[in-house]
Amino acid sequence: MKAVGARLPRYDGLQHVTGQSVYVDDVRVPDMLWAKALRSTVHSAEIKKLDVSKALRVPGVHAVVTHEDVPVNIVGHLAALGVPADEPLLAEHEVRYQGQPIAVVAAETEEIAQEAVNAIEISYEEREPFLDIRKAFDPDVPKVSPSGNLFVYEPYTERRVRKGDIDWAFEKADRIVQGVYRPAAIEHCPTETQVALVVPEATGRLVIYSCTQAMYFSMGVVATHLGVSLNDLKFVGGTVGGGFGGKVDTAAETISALLAIKAKRPVKWRWTREEEFLCSSVRATWHVEIADAVTKDGWILGRRTLTLHDAGAYTRFSSYGATKHAFHLGGAYTIPNLSFNAYVIWSNHVPTTAMRGFGVTSVSFAVELHMTRIATVLGIDPWELRLKNASRVGDTAPTRVVLKDPSAVPTIQAAAQAAGVELASEYRAMTNAPRKGKTLPRHLVDQLGAWRDNGGR
Amino acid sequence: MAKHRGRGFSAIEYPTGMNQGGDPSQAWIKMKPDGRVDVFAGTVDIGQGSKTVHTQIVADTLGVPYDWVTMDNSNTDSSPLCTGTFASRGTFIGGNAVAVAAERVRERLLEIAARELEIDPSDLEVSDGEVRAKGAPDRKLGVGDVAAAATWTHGELITGSGAWMKPYSAPDPDTGECDPHAAISYAACVADVEVDDETGEVRVLKLIQVYDVGHAINPTLVEGQIEGGAMMGLGLGLLEATYPYYPALDHRGDQFGSYLAPSTKDLPEFDNVILEYPSSEGPFGAKAIGEMANNAQPAAICSAIYDAVGVWVTECPATPERVLRALERRSEPRREGKRIVFDEDLSVRSVSATGGEGFLAVDG
Repeated sequence: MKAVGARLPRYDGLQHVTGQSVYVDDVRVPDMLWAKALRSTVHSAEIKKLDVSKALRVPGVHAVVTHEDVPVNIVGHLAALGVPADEPLLAEHEVRYQGQPIAVVAAETEEIAQEAVNAIEISYEEREPFLDIRKAFDPDVPKVSPSGNLFVYEPYTERRVRKGDIDWAFEKADRIVQGVYRPAAIEHCPTETQVALVVPEATGRLVIYSCTQAMYFSMGVVATHLGVSLNDLKFVGGTVGGGFGGKVDTAAETISALLAIKAKRPVKWRWTREEEFLCSSVRATWHVEIADAVTKDGWILGRRTLTLHDAGAYTRFSSYGATKHAFHLGGAYTIPNLSFNAYVIWSNHVPTTAMRGFGVTSVSFAVELHMTRIATVLGIDPWELRLKNASRVGDTAPTRVVLKDPSAVPTIQAAAQAAGVELASEYRAMTNAPRKGKTLPRHLVDQLGAWRDNGGR
Repeated sequence: MAKHRGRGFSAIEYPTGMNQGGDPSQAWIKMKPDGRVDVFAGTVDIGQGSKTVHTQIVADTLGVPYDWVTMDNSNTDSSPLCTGTFASRGTFIGGNAVAVAAERVRERLLEIAARELEIDPSDLEVSDGEVRAKGAPDRKLGVGDVAAAATWTHGELITGSGAWMKPYSAPDPDTGECDPHAAISYAACVADVEVDDETGEVRVLKLIQVYDVGHAINPTLVEGQIEGGAMMGLGLGLLEATYPYYPALDHRGDQFGSYLAPSTKDLPEFDNVILEYPSSEGPFGAKAIGEMANNAQPAAICSAIYDAVGVWVTECPATPERVLRALERRSEPRREGKRIVFDEDLSVRSVSATGGEGFLAVDG
């Protein structure tokens, strides 16, 4: 029997549904300490005073760590790609979001650890927070980072996509259809909150029980913070109680490791449900503007877009997400003339991160609602509008990648069939085969011909 | 005051086999003395079933029954590198890595079998746990016998390792030109909704969803992604918001009781269609489905709201308040025009000035 294509049951399904799968919080080891964090209560502030001495005197407390205990405190998630590191593991002289960790305690129980956290003395000089990304270009708004509120894609402040002749498209258009689309920030809502257990071995190695979605990636982040080799660490994981992108961030592992090193005892840090909701990263707020140059019979000649992406207080993966976003703003369609600008904006919200569909979920919402709007404005069938513009073999994506096997046409046709929608015969007969001259309007033939001759550039 | 039915539609695409983090996956496989197979890879199963998919790929690549294969992704000492489970890369990149490793194990297996059968390895094939001579199927040896011979007769280990990645391609800052992914999956979604024009409440009655996944390694798991993803998409479209009054922080939910995620009560009727237009680079032609499964619903739902009551809700989630406000605004004139100011600086400045409608500087 062939396994590929078979409806085999999940490898670990019975383990999961009978409660036998072992998640990080199920692991208990002797002499384990529990961690609790002091987190910022304000959105933006200078830290004027931080004194942990009273916390250290609470009976049952074994270690307190602050930024001074971190060998390398500022590590970027995408440093390997040349994205500047901007986020401290533990806050130094300032906080940029409510919930940002400042100091962490390891104690005999979670209650004692919390008591010690409450005993830490801290004072802030609050600053006006910057919370609305739509004001990012206003010169008078507060600056989140000393360099401002815009991530820089050298040499620009935005990820750019340019293709064809956008001015030609808008000159030739019969109509210009525009819209502004704003999908909200949302939570990952995993059942398992962020959690880590770090066990220091007599050999000096740290065994890190982790709920990460990305074991080796997280191991690299921890090793960089601690300044150790990959063999000084052993990550144990591979089974996650819900991630959806939120556990690509390395959240509890490094701080738990620092506490375990300092206390010379195993340390577990499990975030409360409230911390998971309020302090862990979220899917970003997006603001997407689209203006399409269209002909009255439904050809999209050109598309201009402006995107604002709320990174929250630090960059994390946002520059990657907004780049991916920009590459897909054409949707499932081939539009010959494009001009996209996508900005990553720092704010004093919690840092945003990957979530299922990272960067493209916002595209799908904006572009597809916009397609419905175009069909409505032009008074043409929304199925036909999409089929007409759908990408075909040999078309080029906004990145100029030549599409080898686009299946937008058969996918849309199958949806029509399943929904009982009767397509006109020319649309029923359409395939994803390369476009021929007669399937194009006159004014596109010349342009597309030149475009193809130029290798789809 | 009435309930109105509407239908909306969306068609989407999603990249897989991406390289924008320069992300490789590695795998190694060893064979026990009875022919049973252990796969080691660092790919995290976040609930999508990647362990199942990987063992299926290994079983068929190697030519042994599925239940001969175990998979261990439990730690970084035994498993080689996988950068992680994100970017819909588990099946495509992780699956390619285990396929490459399994191919090498198969080669080693045939070398040992060739010695035992005294037949050239190129004249042998493996299927259903047996090594057979091509064209002479009665000349055969169980994979377990070959593994035993390797262990006890030849003093060797049948093993193999492999890796897969799409090399990083830096985008041109001026044009965005680059080669960022290995395949694209396509999908379409039809949403049938009911909108109550008195309460603003929107209910999704049915979702018809079509996904081209290249090749469904496990159709049951693909359907799980389609329906699970649809519920997340429904949450995006209708229910969920971290900051319900963005940019204000009021009423931020901090528990499941105060943050509105979809539940089984929101479950619509599903009609799932899986299409298979193979990818040239994916394992067994597979593309991916993981992330895109929550992308198509919000636009289909908001298009259906327009179809039902004639108003555009362009902010997600389409809460009852937003639907009712849109209904109140319905009589206002539309702002469509032929000419728009496209100066980039002016556009971004007007975003700031208007609170978010930069392009809507319509002229005429």
